[in-house]
Amino acid sequence: MSSSSGPDPGPRLDVAEIEQAEELVEQRLPWEAALGEGKAVGRKGRRLVTAMWALPGFVWLGFYMLAPLAFIVLVSFWTHTDFGYEKVWTTSNYTELFHDSTYWQNMRTSFVTSLIAVGACLVFGFPVAYFLALKVRTLRWQIALFIVALAPFWTSFLTRSVAWTYPLMGRQGALNQALQKLGIVDEPISALGFSPLSVRLALVQLYILFMITPLFFTLAQVDQAALEAARDLGGNWWRTFKEVIVPQAAPGAVIGSIFIFVLTMGDYGTVQVIGGGNVTSVGTVVSSKVGAIQYPQGAASAVLLVVVLMAGVFVITRFSRLREEL
Amino acid sequence: MAEEAGSHSEGAATAAPSGSEGSGLDLVGLTKVFPGGTVAVADFDLHVDHGEYVVLLGPSGCGKTTTLRMIGGHEFPTAGEILLDGQSLVELQPHQRPTTTVFQHFALFPHRTTLQNVEFGLKMHGIAKAERRKQAFEALAMVGLEQLADRKPRQLSGGQQQRVALARVLVTKPKALLLDEPLGDIDRLLQLRMRVELRNLQRQLGLMFIHVTHNQEEALSMADRIVVMNDARIQQIADPLTIATKPATELVARFMGDNNIVNGKVISRDGDRLVVQDDHGVQASVRAADDSRGVGDPAMVSVRAAAVEIDENGSAPLEVNSAECGIVFVEFLGDLVKLHLTTGGERMLAKVAGDRYPLLRGREGERIRVRWKEEDVQLLGS
Repeated sequence: MSSSSGPDPGPRLDVAEIEQAEELVEQRLPWEAALGEGKAVGRKGRRLVTAMWALPGFVWLGFYMLAPLAFIVLVSFWTHTDFGYEKVWTTSNYTELFHDSTYWQNMRTSFVTSLIAVGACLVFGFPVAYFLALKVRTLRWQIALFIVALAPFWTSFLTRSVAWTYPLMGRQGALNQALQKLGIVDEPISALGFSPLSVRLALVQLYILFMITPLFFTLAQVDQAALEAARDLGGNWWRTFKEVIVPQAAPGAVIGSIFIFVLTMGDYGTVQVIGGGNVTSVGTVVSSKVGAIQYPQGAASAVLLVVVLMAGVFVITRFSRLREEL
Repeated sequence: MAEEAGSHSEGAATAAPSGSEGSGLDLVGLTKVFPGGTVAVADFDLHVDHGEYVVLLGPSGCGKTTTLRMIGGHEFPTAGEILLDGQSLVELQPHQRPTTTVFQHFALFPHRTTLQNVEFGLKMHGIAKAERRKQAFEALAMVGLEQLADRKPRQLSGGQQQRVALARVLVTKPKALLLDEPLGDIDRLLQLRMRVELRNLQRQLGLMFIHVTHNQEEALSMADRIVVMNDARIQQIADPLTIATKPATELVARFMGDNNIVNGKVISRDGDRLVVQDDHGVQASVRAADDSRGVGDPAMVSVRAAAVEIDENGSAPLEVNSAECGIVFVEFLGDLVKLHLTTGGERMLAKVAGDRYPLLRGREGERIRVRWKEEDVQLLGS
């Protein structure tokens, strides 16, 4: 049994014995694989089936994403006229845009708003996902409570937005009245309604589920036994949280951040409805250009937005080494 | 670590239970009642010495894992005391206890490499990076995994994952190692090797191991002492030989398997010699000096299948410790043959050497005479 050499190896397992046994076990695998291959009659047929399953996805991507994207890139290089555009190649749309300080000002505020939304969704979404995934023990309750968390999505965006603006956050709104009744403020705060603040609050409540959902699914994969092992090996609650739970939740946080970054940065509907015309974003700039039939310029500003979004997503994934984690 | 135990730890290296106060692990009246009233562990008393290998054995749900979890601090006892070297552990959190657990299914950290998994305990105890690298590599060398230090758990085989789990707990130098079904997740062939190697490692380390399993063979092959549990209670505590040959209760006899049970009444008592007869006329005699049963009282005895012999030439009238049976099935297992027999009641089992197979093959349906010796008969408590 003792195959170990050297004068005093100290206590150790005889690994040679173990690995020999393991090899014998592993040897069965090629044989099993051969069995599986035998069953797969007609490799060509199987490939065709795989292709058929993939087809709708590609059609969907092509029709809804690649074609429109290619088209706005094309349009962004056409010449704009007072009433539309001519198919004459030019880069003037971009040069004008690079000197358009309003556009970049909006890009900056949208970016800041996005960062705030991502941060707030992480801070408020994590406890919800943590509770659902690790504190609720039965799958039945997890699903039930997850559906409850989804409840806001059962009402239309417009209904919630209208309720949000005047009745809740307006100068005479419920929040201001409550604050006055409680004596916290003397005058109603007008910044609550139709302001950058109200837009940001609305964005967080609108998009937080895009953070909670991926976080919930990654946290649900955390092995309770591994948490016990961490406690067992000397980790107190905080160390276990930091060293075991957070790293495993990271891919979910990254996916959620990408969602929220992309969605809030490009958002213009929420900004228009909640901001009531007082607030602008890159999205509203693009929308107003399109509204003024300046298609080439609208397209160019949209293309730049897409570039910024892609750069942002690239930075997020790079920073977090998402591919490795997944 | 051994200094604290002081003069008591002299006998720690030997496996024999010394029973000395203050050294080793003492479980006193340990009880766990879960909310809802389920009694998982009732009034559990056990002393384990340093260096001893104790296996808690029983069917699933018998309370063996709950007992282990209470020692590790993952369940809080409803009543009772847990003392390690005379100090109570009951109020301590898992991370404050000098025990560590090898969890079922290994419970490795999936996002950490082999090395980082092994380092974890040292990191939690605030040991500087260079030192913990060194100690972690020592532990990895102990289980032969230095080459795979940078792999993630999912890139390792089951056996390798198990060795990571082992290195991860050994590196923290616990006073007692708790193992929850440690060999349950690996292939049988590997399991057989790991039994030997794990036990060998434990001997070299001289560390207290408490191992939970439902596998009888595993318990017999690895333990210094076996604690057989059923339904929250201890059925028997003894060395493997005693458990295998002298089961104390019906449950132990049945759970260990391959025991024939004669369940009937005492038909005669001659000094300390009882004769028990069942409804089908099978008689077995047993020496039971400290048993107070008289003629007519119910009694149950067991005879190991391996102690039952074939009595081909038996033509004399049936006497005590023999039976006339029908052969139900002849099961050939290589080294041995299992004869499944019937006397009309419960099945009987005789294990004979494998080389007798040519004589027994194809004899299902025939009658056969078997016998056993009085010293192989064991009176069972309830």
